[in-house]
Amino acid sequence: MRTPANIPGAVPVYEDFARCVHCGLCLNNCPTYRLWHLEGDSPRGRIRQMILVGNGELPLAEGFVGHIDKCLDCRACETACPSGVEYGKLVEHARARIETEYKRPLFARFTRNIVFKRLLPYPNRIAFAARLLRFYQRSGLQSLARASRILKLLGLAERERLLPRIDGHFFFRELGKTFPAQGARRARVAFFAGCIANVTFTKLNEATIRVLTANGCEVVVPSAQLCCGALAAHAGVRETARQLARKNIAAFGGGHFDAILTNAAGCGSTLKEYDHLFSPNEPEHPAAVAFGNSMRDVTEFLATLGLVAPLKETRLRVTYQDSCHLLHGQKVREAPRQLLRAIPGIEFVELPYSDICCGSAGVYNVTQTAASLDLLKEKMDYAKITRATTIVTANPGCLLQLRAGAEIHKTGQNVVHVVELLDSVLKQS
Amino acid sequence: MTATANLATRLESVLGAHRVVAAEPELREYAIDGMVPGAIVRPASAQEAAEVARFAITEKLAIVASGSRSKLDLGMPPARYDLALDMTGLHEIAHFDPGDLTLSVDAGMPLRQLARMLAEKGQFLPLAVPCCETSTVAGALASGIDSTLRKQYGTPRDFLIGAEFVDGKGALCKSGGRVVKNVTGYDLHKLLIGSLGTLALITRLNFRTFTLPQAHGGQVACFSNLEGASAYRDAIEKSGLPLANLETLSPEMVAQTAAVLRETSAEFAGRLDPAKWCVYASFEGNEAVVPRIARDLQKLANEAAAAGSEILDAASDAHLGGILREAFDWLRWASPAVALFRIALPQSNPGDLANLLRVAQDSSLRAALLVRAAGIVHFTLFVESENESALHALENAAARVFSLAGAGHGHATLLHAPSKLKSRVNVWGPNRADLGMMRHVKHSFDPRNIFAPGRFVGGI
Amino acid sequence: MPASLLRELNSLLGPSNVLHKIEDLVLYEYDGSVEKARPDLVVFPHTTEDVSRILKLATKYNVPIVGRGSGTGLSGGALARGGGTMIVFARMNRILELDLENARAVVQPGVVNLDITRAVEHAGLYFAPDPSSQKSCTIGGNVAENAGGPHTLAYGVTVNHVTALELVLPDGEIVRVGSKHGDTPGYDLCGLFVGSEGTLALVTEITVKLTRKAEAVKTLLAIFDAVDDASNTVAEITARGITPAACEMVDGWTLCAIEDYIHAGFPRDSAAILLVEVEGLREAVEAQAAAVEDVCRTHHAREVRIARDDRERDLLWKGRKNAFGALGRLAPSNYVLDGVIPRSKLPQALQQIQSIGKKYGFSIGNIFHAGDGNLHPIVLYDPRDPQQFENAIAASREIIRYCVELGGALTGEHGVGMEKNELMPLLFSDADFDLMRRVHDAFNPDSSLNPGKIFPLSKGCGEIRVRKQAETLPAHV
Ligand SMILES: Cc1cc2nc3c(=O)[nH]c(=O)nc-3n(C[C@H](O)[C@H](O)[C@H](O)COP(=O)(O)OP(=O)(O)OC[C@H]3O[C@@H](n4cnc5c(N)ncnc54)[C@H](O)[C@@H]3O)c2cc1C
Ligand code: SF4
Ligand code: SF4
Repeated sequence: MRTPANIPGAVPVYEDFARCVHCGLCLNNCPTYRLWHLEGDSPRGRIRQMILVGNGELPLAEGFVGHIDKCLDCRACETACPSGVEYGKLVEHARARIETEYKRPLFARFTRNIVFKRLLPYPNRIAFAARLLRFYQRSGLQSLARASRILKLLGLAERERLLPRIDGHFFFRELGKTFPAQGARRARVAFFAGCIANVTFTKLNEATIRVLTANGCEVVVPSAQLCCGALAAHAGVRETARQLARKNIAAFGGGHFDAILTNAAGCGSTLKEYDHLFSPNEPEHPAAVAFGNSMRDVTEFLATLGLVAPLKETRLRVTYQDSCHLLHGQKVREAPRQLLRAIPGIEFVELPYSDICCGSAGVYNVTQTAASLDLLKEKMDYAKITRATTIVTANPGCLLQLRAGAEIHKTGQNVVHVVELLDSVLKQS
Repeated sequence: MTATANLATRLESVLGAHRVVAAEPELREYAIDGMVPGAIVRPASAQEAAEVARFAITEKLAIVASGSRSKLDLGMPPARYDLALDMTGLHEIAHFDPGDLTLSVDAGMPLRQLARMLAEKGQFLPLAVPCCETSTVAGALASGIDSTLRKQYGTPRDFLIGAEFVDGKGALCKSGGRVVKNVTGYDLHKLLIGSLGTLALITRLNFRTFTLPQAHGGQVACFSNLEGASAYRDAIEKSGLPLANLETLSPEMVAQTAAVLRETSAEFAGRLDPAKWCVYASFEGNEAVVPRIARDLQKLANEAAAAGSEILDAASDAHLGGILREAFDWLRWASPAVALFRIALPQSNPGDLANLLRVAQDSSLRAALLVRAAGIVHFTLFVESENESALHALENAAARVFSLAGAGHGHATLLHAPSKLKSRVNVWGPNRADLGMMRHVKHSFDPRNIFAPGRFVGGI
Repeated sequence: MPASLLRELNSLLGPSNVLHKIEDLVLYEYDGSVEKARPDLVVFPHTTEDVSRILKLATKYNVPIVGRGSGTGLSGGALARGGGTMIVFARMNRILELDLENARAVVQPGVVNLDITRAVEHAGLYFAPDPSSQKSCTIGGNVAENAGGPHTLAYGVTVNHVTALELVLPDGEIVRVGSKHGDTPGYDLCGLFVGSEGTLALVTEITVKLTRKAEAVKTLLAIFDAVDDASNTVAEITARGITPAACEMVDGWTLCAIEDYIHAGFPRDSAAILLVEVEGLREAVEAQAAAVEDVCRTHHAREVRIARDDRERDLLWKGRKNAFGALGRLAPSNYVLDGVIPRSKLPQALQQIQSIGKKYGFSIGNIFHAGDGNLHPIVLYDPRDPQQFENAIAASREIIRYCVELGGALTGEHGVGMEKNELMPLLFSDADFDLMRRVHDAFNPDSSLNPGKIFPLSKGCGEIRVRKQAETLPAHV
């Protein structure tokens, strides 16, 4: 298989592709296959196309790019695949290849360039551009959004009013601080705050710190941290992702933490796999491996550590939507459920097909809005069946999406992050 | 009829004299609804059967194969009947692998003898069909007659794994095999089930066998009306208890059953109340399972407010079960003329059953209702003679039964009817939309139409 | 492929339901098997009427038709051996009716097997046929192949759970066979069409039986240090008349690959394991489990574990059901066989398979439905080496021949397709083929439906239709 030389980082080899024995066991677990039932939009078909493109038997053209663009990178196929195909690795490489070899239409190139290369890597620009960013993420600055017709063009007009407000204060100001453990210190952890989350999920981040400290964790928020690079990596903008990785590894290095935590599963799976961004013979590789090994999702960490903070009894019927990058990316399934069941009075019901993506998937809801809305509709149909009053999930992107879903489909359900729910039932001490 | 006086002679020249019979009294024993064959042939091997088929093709003759002839009254009389092919000469066990629970047996093997042989190895074939003393294995299969073990073991579709047969071109063919799981080639053997000899001459059948249960038992529960009995049945079905058989008897059916029972055990017969609807359940398993099911059934019967319920020990269960297994046989001779319907309904709801009884009432006919397992109903109308008014009443009743069954998304056939009724009513009921496909199948098996012409659905 | 056919299909179904670009078509030239053949067009009907109209067009343009569900088939059944138009049923995936009272479901063919169970499990019911591919394969594909699964042992294969079918014949005529009840006068047409591998008609609606969940279930994992012990155990379980719901065997080597995927606590140093499940009333389950355990111990099982709860049980089954796929971890390609043998011959069959493997220099995995005698020897090879592929095929043929010698059959559940059709004469005579062909021709006279399958090309049935597909792709992908 020919591989272009100019893509930095790990490059999949024959065996990585050959692992796919085209058994098709992944098909029905793939959200896009479930939507369209096209082989081209299934894991098996996408892998096949990568092989054909690699062999030069299929042009790297619109068709291929379309199918790869439509992939949510949710990695449900990895969970489903008994053969151990590392699809995430394959698709990120395919995207990197598209990024280097394929000329996208001008507008797409322009926005991708702005977002992935010029905005996300720079915290000050994020803060500065919060409103613009919010617009881009459909979190519309209302007058601007309404004045422009771009929302309509993107088919987002309907959703614009549903999106969360940019927070009054940004979490950026907490960077560099250390929060002491309440009671005996059981662990010392570093908190990875995310990038966009700094301006849209301040409260979630604050809640995370409260829950951690209440459970005996000293929480350090290193100041030099940057965006994790997940969006860039998923989009194939590899060099940017590598830059961010180097800086984050440095920012968290040498802190002697029991773990580095994130409440964003999407960031978490990229952070855990920083080593994929570097090939084994690059100097950054060992540090990337070590960094990944100390990364934990906050739910994973808390479930292992065990909750000690007293919790109020709470009569709620809740259901849980797996965040793809937690379940499929990090293979964490039980931890969040375990935490939910630990809350006294909670009635936990499984959400049918909770392992299928809600359609959020990073910037997917922007780039593939129709598909995203279709997935969301099915998701909310099942959510209604559960008769749960609260839908819990474990990733900010999913929160946004599911909140929009609850509004659009009028399910009347509250959507919260696992740690937000835990925070709300902490007994004030 | 193509058969001429020298038919037998010509046959003899093919198969030898000892294989052919043309004497009047014997020919009459092979009569179907009064039609008498031109000759009887008794092949001793599959090859000989094939030769007869090829002879029939050249001579343009019609062949009706038979075993013990216990169920020749099923289906319509043949349109032509030249040769009666008596298959009882093929009666070997071709292969029995007790360790694999598979069996290959010749068509004419009597079920009784087969059962004895299997029982020596602790096994059996779940074909509990009427006339089981005489029936041959292929006859039972081709007749499509219900087995009272259907609830637990299914129909032959579920345990027939292969077959050898002579097709309508006189060729020896096979389908399936001797292993319990197999998808190699088309499952043509399944088509032979219930085909009434219209597709091929079955020469050998392969089955999976089953281990005899350690123990079995039964229960009879009585109810003052149909609704009570039906509700009890529902409760049993919902409980998920595994039963071997489950039958509901109308009061008239109870009376008839008691009469048969009385011949062997007056005491047992006395315990059946002919004023009640009775539900008979039979179950099997190991020594722990049987009492457990008995207990659960008694509890369910109590909850269903049964007028009475009784657990039967193994001997009584076998006794009553045997009589009900033979119901088809004795019902058809229970009065001078009888119309016995077999009705399959998706859901034997009391409404459908009540409607059937109304048919009988409206035409002032005595009727017995036997609701069998798996949604099969045997509905019997009795008349005292084959006179015109009786036939007329039966004809009208048949039309109503066919349409009732159709309306309930089921269908009815006449398992047994007086010959004279068959000239007025097609026992198979109205034609179904799939008749064209059936004709395709018939034509591909038997392009010259030599096998039992006219006996089957839609004149096939 | 005539351009006007494409035009007509486009206007019939809408362009989003028609694929015609080569870049799309190449994704329909494979299925779960090692075979390949590319269609000229791929279409996605939504209704029975769509299917009927497509077939009428195909007749008009005289192009072959092949149906496809999820393309998980292991015999190349869903490949367009004669080119032509492929009808993918994946978008006909509605559950049309759930009749829980009568334990029936009426579904479109594209419904995924497991989704039927998911839709009815709340009522304590499930759809019993459980091919290991059940989370992906469609009921239409199951019907066509008469699919089985681990629990086939006690509950039977697909045909035992289908009571009615709606079919579209090659000329576009829509017909129904069977009934909801399942008992109809006349020939058992359902029994004929189930398992006919899409060569007689296309299936557009299926009525299936639903089964009530058993009161109790026990899953045993027996670990053996010698394959012979495990196979003797199976033979004796069968001979003693114990009927487990399932009785599966996995060799130790394959088990390691599974364990890498599933982390279920399967031993890494065994020669073979048996996964035996008993179901039914509590009392029966207790007794059967004890009997099974006894047989295992008699045959020197190192350990017999009983799953403690549903989670453990699910994990064991997840391991078993993902076994094929897990072999992708061991070699870039594998060839799965599906021979059946009498269960009493299991020990000698496994020995023979090993020695055939040795002869050709292959590692042969064995993951199979032992209780049914349905073997799945899996030949692992590297397709980059053409000699290995040749040898894999040769070894496979030898194994199949041996199964037949033992009184067995070519395929227990995967179907003949275009993979074993040339081996059919091992079992069938010219007279058998002649009759099968007449039945075939009665429904599919021009071999326009799925040509080149089941029948050896020399025995009639559309060989003319099967044009040699130029191998445009290297075998290794
Ligand atoms: C990992 C793995 C495990 C497997 N395990 C098992 C197992 O345990 N048991 C088992 O039996 N099989 C098993 N299989 C084989 C396969 O999954 C089954 O044969 C399944 O029934 C195929 O379903 P499908 O929807 O993928 O059909 P496809 O592969 O798409 O098609 C199979 C056949 O069905 C025909 N077909 C499809 N839809 C229709 C229709 N609507 N009308 C007419 N014909 C149609 C096609 O033409 C083709 O001939 C396994 C396969 C894999 C990859
Ligand atoms: S990705 Fe895995 S599950 Fe999907 S077809 Fe390939 S091997 Fe099978
Ligand atoms: S990552 Fe998600 S969307 Fe992409 S192929 Fe896998 S399952 Fe499908």
